[in-house]
Amino acid sequence: MNKFLFFLIICIINIYDFTAQNQFIARQGQITFFSYASVENIEAQNNQVLSILDVKTKKVAVSMLMRAFVFKKDLMYEHFNESYIESDIYPKATFEGDILNFDKNATRQTKLINGVLNIHGISKETKIKSTIENNNGTYSIYGECKVLVKDFDIKIPPILSSNIAKSITIKFKFQYQPYDE
Amino acid sequence: MMNSKHFFLILTCIFFVDFNANAQDLLKKLDKEFTNIPLYEIATFKTTRIGLGQSIETRKKGALEISLYNRYWDKPNTQSQSFLADEVNTRYGLAFSFSDNFTIGFGYSNFDKISDGYLKYRIIRQRINSKKMPISITLVQNFSHRKFKNTNANLYSPNSSENRYAFSTQALIARKFSPELSLQVAPTFIHRATPNSSNDSKSQFAIGFGGRQKIGAHTSIVSEYFYVANTIKSMGTFNSFLVGINWEVSDLMLQFHLTNARNFAEDTFISQTTNNFNFKDPNLHFGFNATFILHTKKKKINKD
Repeated sequence: MNKFLFFLIICIINIYDFTAQNQFIARQGQITFFSYASVENIEAQNNQVLSILDVKTKKVAVSMLMRAFVFKKDLMYEHFNESYIESDIYPKATFEGDILNFDKNATRQTKLINGVLNIHGISKETKIKSTIENNNGTYSIYGECKVLVKDFDIKIPPILSSNIAKSITIKFKFQYQPYDE
Repeated sequence: MMNSKHFFLILTCIFFVDFNANAQDLLKKLDKEFTNIPLYEIATFKTTRIGLGQSIETRKKGALEISLYNRYWDKPNTQSQSFLADEVNTRYGLAFSFSDNFTIGFGYSNFDKISDGYLKYRIIRQRINSKKMPISITLVQNFSHRKFKNTNANLYSPNSSENRYAFSTQALIARKFSPELSLQVAPTFIHRATPNSSNDSKSQFAIGFGGRQKIGAHTSIVSEYFYVANTIKSMGTFNSFLVGINWEVSDLMLQFHLTNARNFAEDTFISQTTNNFNFKDPNLHFGFNATFILHTKKKKINKD
């Protein structure tokens, strides 16, 4: 009998674990990038970035379609997808990392996220500083980081080197909602 | 003693707890969240002309294309004193895109004194990762007007201005086979108000074949060939052929090519090319096209 009880307890723990809201999703995350160069400034925005936050494991993941970036000039969009990012071959950019010293109850905290950024098929270890807010159980993450174009094997012909910045500023903003599987 | 059945159940439970705690790969979860919005191929060709003829590409809404097309060639057996080339035909062109699918263009070429214009409408776009639409189709209606008078004017076809119009209709069908390779087929119908000679048919049928192979992120090799089904009888003509390199530098598209076609209007270069493609003067034409794209409308990016 006590064996059966033991089994039941484990099951209850299991159900409890299953129902506890540990994962949060952002379906309309926003990522904007800027390239400040002497010839022209390039700016693009993606409003359909997906992100998932697990407060129990302190992990966060981000995934986006490169084709969803909107540019001011349509030619920039074509060049970005066709000649630089090659979105036919590498359609997505992703990030997955651990939030260091994350406290799930703090209303506002600025933490480092240590993870792997994958752009143009190349993975790179990065630390991104970001602010995490907790508003009555729902989370939001925002921040800014810089990436170097050469780290991701994106080739810029010498004749266009003054059109595109060597370091690109990326701003991000995610608003999470409880995630139902 | 724990019987094996219970033991197995407990094990599964523990495993399940573990499974939940570790949470399956977060990125894999996100992959399931992507909505299936149809994605269309972009840049089947980089330029709105492959080289000679139109490509299926149209510019996006509000784009103004300013173009300068040149063909250079040498006259045979001349004691020419000119630098580089004896003759040049230049087409000055403007095209404006009223929507993402519809473009109107005009041009004037100074050697043959032909004014031409076209309406271009994109009807079908190739889809990415979908078998629903494997090709792109664009319709082009061209019209051209020659300033030079007809040589064989007579009572039945007087030399009036309206007799010097020509029209060509094209259906451009293209497919991007890979990020590098795109091919295009262009059935063409040409109609002239008055033919050069009464023996010639007013209407001609032709089919164009074109393709590009990317050799770098910004450069591609292009080639084009037009086959004419019923050639003009009054003069010897050859099918036009082109081989060249397209190169894009930011807002500027540069095209360099070798061809036997001297003219720019569709009805002339497709069915009235009088030179064969070889390296003898005056058959070898060097072509240089420069196209600049000006965005008159810019998309708004929401800033916070």
